[in-house]
Amino acid sequence: MEVERMKSQKNHTREVVVVGGGVAGMQAAIRLAEQGVRVTLIEKKHELGGHIRSWYHLFPSFTPAQEVYDALHERFASHDIELITSAEATEINPTSVTLADGRVLHTKAVIIATGFEIFDARRKEEYGYGLYDHVYTSADLELLLHEGEAGEGLAGALGFTPRRIALLHCVGSRDEKVCQPHCSKVCCITGVKQAIELKKRFPDAEIFNFYMDIRMFGPGYEEMYREAQQKYNIHFIRGRISEASPTFDGRLQIKAEDTLTGRPLRMSVDMFVLLIGMQAGPNFGLPHADSGFLEPQDLFLGNVVAPAQAGTLGGLFYAGTVSAPKAIGESLNEGIAAADAAAAYIKQK
Amino acid sequence: MRRRHTSNRNSVAAIDWGYGINKARVINADVNDLRMSEAILREMPELQTCIGCGGCTATCTAGALTDFNFRMLHTLVRRGEYEGMYEQLNKCMLCGKCRLVCPRGINTRALVMLLKRKLGDN
Amino acid sequence: MRFFAPFCIPFIIGTAFLFAALAVKWGSWLYHLPRADKKLIGRNFFTLATPKAIWEVIRESLLHARIWRVNSLLGYMHTSLAFGWFLLILVGWIETTAYVGLRWVPLQGHVFFKYFAASAHLGHKPVFDFLMDLLLLFVLSGVAWAVAKRIVHRFMGMRRTTRHIVWDKLALSVLWFIFPIRLIAESITCAVHGGGGFLTGSIGTWLAGWVPRSTLYALYEPAWWVYSICLGLFFIAMPFSRYMHIFTEIPLIFLRQYKLRSGKKITSYDNFQVEACSRCGICIDPCQIQTDLGVNDIQSTYFLRDRRYHRLELSVLNNCFMCGRCEQVCPVGINLNTLRQNSRDKMRNVPNEKRYEYFTSVPVEKNSAQSKIGYFTGCMTHLTPGMKQAMERIFTATGESVWWADREGGVCCGRPLLLSGETDSARKMIDFNTRLIRESGITTLVTSCAICLKVFRDEYHLTGVELLHHSEYIERLLVKGSLKPARANDESFTYHDPCELGRGCGIYDAPRAVIASVGVLVEPEQTREMSLCCGSSLANTVIDDGQQLRVSRSAVDTLTATGAKTIVTACPLCKKALARGTSHNIRVKDLAEIVAERL
Repeated sequence: MEVERMKSQKNHTREVVVVGGGVAGMQAAIRLAEQGVRVTLIEKKHELGGHIRSWYHLFPSFTPAQEVYDALHERFASHDIELITSAEATEINPTSVTLADGRVLHTKAVIIATGFEIFDARRKEEYGYGLYDHVYTSADLELLLHEGEAGEGLAGALGFTPRRIALLHCVGSRDEKVCQPHCSKVCCITGVKQAIELKKRFPDAEIFNFYMDIRMFGPGYEEMYREAQQKYNIHFIRGRISEASPTFDGRLQIKAEDTLTGRPLRMSVDMFVLLIGMQAGPNFGLPHADSGFLEPQDLFLGNVVAPAQAGTLGGLFYAGTVSAPKAIGESLNEGIAAADAAAAYIKQK
Repeated sequence: MRRRHTSNRNSVAAIDWGYGINKARVINADVNDLRMSEAILREMPELQTCIGCGGCTATCTAGALTDFNFRMLHTLVRRGEYEGMYEQLNKCMLCGKCRLVCPRGINTRALVMLLKRKLGDN
Repeated sequence: MRFFAPFCIPFIIGTAFLFAALAVKWGSWLYHLPRADKKLIGRNFFTLATPKAIWEVIRESLLHARIWRVNSLLGYMHTSLAFGWFLLILVGWIETTAYVGLRWVPLQGHVFFKYFAASAHLGHKPVFDFLMDLLLLFVLSGVAWAVAKRIVHRFMGMRRTTRHIVWDKLALSVLWFIFPIRLIAESITCAVHGGGGFLTGSIGTWLAGWVPRSTLYALYEPAWWVYSICLGLFFIAMPFSRYMHIFTEIPLIFLRQYKLRSGKKITSYDNFQVEACSRCGICIDPCQIQTDLGVNDIQSTYFLRDRRYHRLELSVLNNCFMCGRCEQVCPVGINLNTLRQNSRDKMRNVPNEKRYEYFTSVPVEKNSAQSKIGYFTGCMTHLTPGMKQAMERIFTATGESVWWADREGGVCCGRPLLLSGETDSARKMIDFNTRLIRESGITTLVTSCAICLKVFRDEYHLTGVELLHHSEYIERLLVKGSLKPARANDESFTYHDPCELGRGCGIYDAPRAVIASVGVLVEPEQTREMSLCCGSSLANTVIDDGQQLRVSRSAVDTLTATGAKTIVTACPLCKKALARGTSHNIRVKDLAEIVAERL
C-alpha cells in the first residue's frame, strides 16, 4: 500500500475523511480545506481523478476532460489535504473508515464519494460485446478518441474507417433484465456528443442513434441534440436494438423496431457503440434504492446527508454519483454541498 | 365482443388488419370502449409499464415474417381498438424471445395468452 | 351363531356404498379407456406384467417402499396404517376361521368379531388376542404419527403439508377415531367378558377394577355403535376424498404395468393417476415456487385436487415451471408434468386450421453443401450469441461441414406452444421443421437448446436423423479426439442441469463428461435428478419478472456455494436466467463456450 502525504504530516485527529478521489471527492476535500478543516482523502486507485481521467471531451461544450481535471488538481495540490491512494474503504462509520489493509482512520465525519461503476456490457450478451469485432462501449470510444488524438486519428485507433455507425442508448440503464432499473442520466447526451465526435471524424459515415427516450435535462443539451440533427445529420431512430449478429462480410447486423413507422428494422453497420450506463458501487450496508445507489436523507434539504441511522447522529455525507447518476457539473456541485454540510456538522459537534 | 366495435376502427396502411382501409383512422377516445382494455390491465397491470421501445417486435420471429407487431397490438388494445386483434395474435409462436428482451420485465408471453383469451375465445 | 347386531348397520351401509362407488368409478374409467389402451391391457394381461403388478401393489400400496425412500418417518406412518390395517383384516379373518371353522361369515362378522365372540362366549385364544393387539398397537402408532404430522409437520421432516377439502377433513377425522375407538370398544368388551391380549386385556382388567360394572354395561353397546359409525362414515367419505387413493393406486399399478400412459390429450387413464394422489404433500417441499416465492396453492397436490373436483383455474394450472422435481419424489409415481400439460391442452387448445399459414413463405436455408450434420440454433440462442459463436468454433475445429437450419431465425420448435396447451397449433411448427430437417438430407441434428431437444425427441418423427444435444455431440468429438481443449486442472466449474435436458431428456452424464475434460467439476448440493430450475421456464406464464429473478438468485446461490467461479449450463434460457441472478464476479457459460475458449 502506497501512502502519499501531501505537505505537512498531521498527527492530530482527522476531522473529515472523504472516501473517493473522483471529481466529487476532490471538490469536497478542497472545499473543506479552504474552510480550514483537517481533511483526508482516500482513493482506491493509485491516482486521483476517477472516471474523468478516461473521458475525452465533455458534453455539451466539448471541453477537454483533461482541462477540467488539471484545474481541479491544481487547486487540490495547493491545499493541505492528506491523501491516501491505493486504499480501498471496506467499512464506513461516521467516526471511522476501515481500509482493506485493516487500518482504521478515526474521524469526526465522513463524506462518501465513491461514485459509480461502469456497466459491464458483456452482461447484455445479445449485443455481442466482447464476442464480435466492432462492438464498442461509450467508455471505449472515449479512450479511442484519446488514442486517436495522440496518434493517427480515430480511424487509426480503430483500424478502419466506418461507413455506418449505430449508437445504442440505454445499455445497462432502464433495464430490468440486468437489474438496472434506473436511468443513468448522462448516456443520452453522451450519445449525442459521441455521434457528433464520430461525424466530425468520419463525415461520410451514416450515424444512427437508437433510443427509447431522449432525455436532455441539462443546460445546452437540447441545443446540442438539435445541432446533432440539423448540423451533423445524425439520424435518430426510436427503437431499442434487440440483438446484433455478425454478417458474412464482417459487419454486424442489428435488429430493432422502428417504432415510429411500426415496422421491424434491420441494418448492417460496421461500428456499434453501446452507451453504457452507471452501475452502483459498494453500498457499505447503507440504505440504498433498488438500483443500488445510496439513498440520502431526502431529495431536498438533506440531499447530501445520509439518513440518520440507529445509534448514530449523522456524520455521513454523500457527494456525487454514489447517490444517483449525475453529470460532472452536478457532482462538482455536490462536492461543495457535502463539504459545507460536513463542516457545519463538525463545528456544531 | 369484437362485433361491438364497428364504428371506430383504426387502420394502418399496407397492413392487413382483417378489414378494409376505408375505416376511420382516428382513434376516437370519446367513443372507444375501454372496458375490455381495463379488464386486461386489471389482470396484468404491468402492461401499463410498457415504454414502447419496440424490443419485442425487433426480436420477434413472427414479426420478421409477417406484419405481426406485438408492441403496436397491445398499444391498440390499451386504446380500446380490438378489431382483428385475435387474428393478429394468432401469428405469435409464443417462443418467448420478447420476454427475454423486454427492459420493463413484462411477461409478454402471458400477455399474448391473456389477450387471446379475452379477445378471441368468448 | 348369528353375525348381526343393530350397531352393524352404519358399517354395512358404508361398505355397500363404498363398493358401489368403486364399481361405478372403476367401471366407467375402464369403459372409457381409449381402444388402444384396452388392447394394451388385453395384450399384457397374461404376461409377467400381472405378477409384477401384484408385487408392486404389495410393495407400494401396503408397504409404501417409495415413501420410505423419501422420508422414513412418513414411510412408517403409511406402512403402519396401510399394512397394519391390512394385517388386522387378514389376521382377523384367520382368527374368525380358527374360532368357527371354514364357513361363510358376513363381513361385519369379521370386523366386529371380538363383539360376537364375546357375546357367544366362544372362549379365548391367547395367541390371536396377542397378535390382534399387537397389530392394533402398530396401527395406533401410525395414527399417532398422523396426528403429530398435522400438528407439527416439521417434526416429520416436511416443511409443508397439504391443506385439505371438507371431505378429506371428514374422512381424516373419522380415520383418526376409528382405531382408538376400536381400542375402547374392545377394551370395554374385555372388561365385561374378560379375555383380550396385552393391550385390550390389560385395559379391560384396569377398567373392570375402576369403573362400576353398570357404567361398563351402559357403554358397551354404544362403543361398538361409535366404532361402526366411524367405519361407515369413513367408507362413505372415501370415494369423495383423498382416501380414494387407497383403492385407486391398485388398478393404477396394474395399468401402468400394462404400459398404459398419459399423453398430450386427456384420456380416461388419467383418472386413475389423478385419484391415486393421496395428497401426502411430499411434492410441496421440493417446489421452488413454494420455497422461493411462498406460493402455496399451485403444487401438484393442489393441481390434482382441483382437477379432480373440476375447479381448476388457469392461475393454478399455469403457475408451474414443469421442472419435474415433484415428479421425482412422488411416492405414487404419478406423471405430474404430463397431467398438467394435458390439462392445459384441455383448457387452452384452440384448433385453428388457418393459423400459421404464413409458414409457407418462410425462407428456408438450403443445405447446398450437402452436409450430413445440421445445427438447430433455436429462438433463444439468438439472444445468447456467445453460444452460437462457440458452436461455430467447435464446428470449424472439427472440420466438418454443418448446415445451419435457422441461422437467421426460423420457425419455433413448438415446445413453448405445447407447454401452453395449444397442442394442435404446435403441430404446425413441428410439421414445418420436420419437413425442413427431412428435406435438408442431414443424418445428425445437433441443437444447443434443451427446450428444442425435448420436443424433437418427444414429438418429431425423424427416423434416420439422429437427434443430439450439443453436450452429447461435443462429448463424442472429445472421445473421438477431434476436439482437444486444453484442460485447466486448477479451474473449477459447477453445473446447472437444465430441467428439459436432465429430467426432461435424461441427459446428465454427457455435460459432466464435457466439463471434466476442460476442468474440475464441482457438484452443487441439489443436482442431477433434483437440480433446481433457473426460474425462467417457459412452462410458467404466471410469475412475473421479479419472481423469476428471485428463483434464479436462489438457484445461483446453491450453485455458487460450491465455490466455483464459473456456472456452466447447457440451455440458452437457463444461461440468460442464471446470468441475471449472478453477482459480477461469477461467470455463467454454456458448455460449448468453455470448450471453445480452450481450443
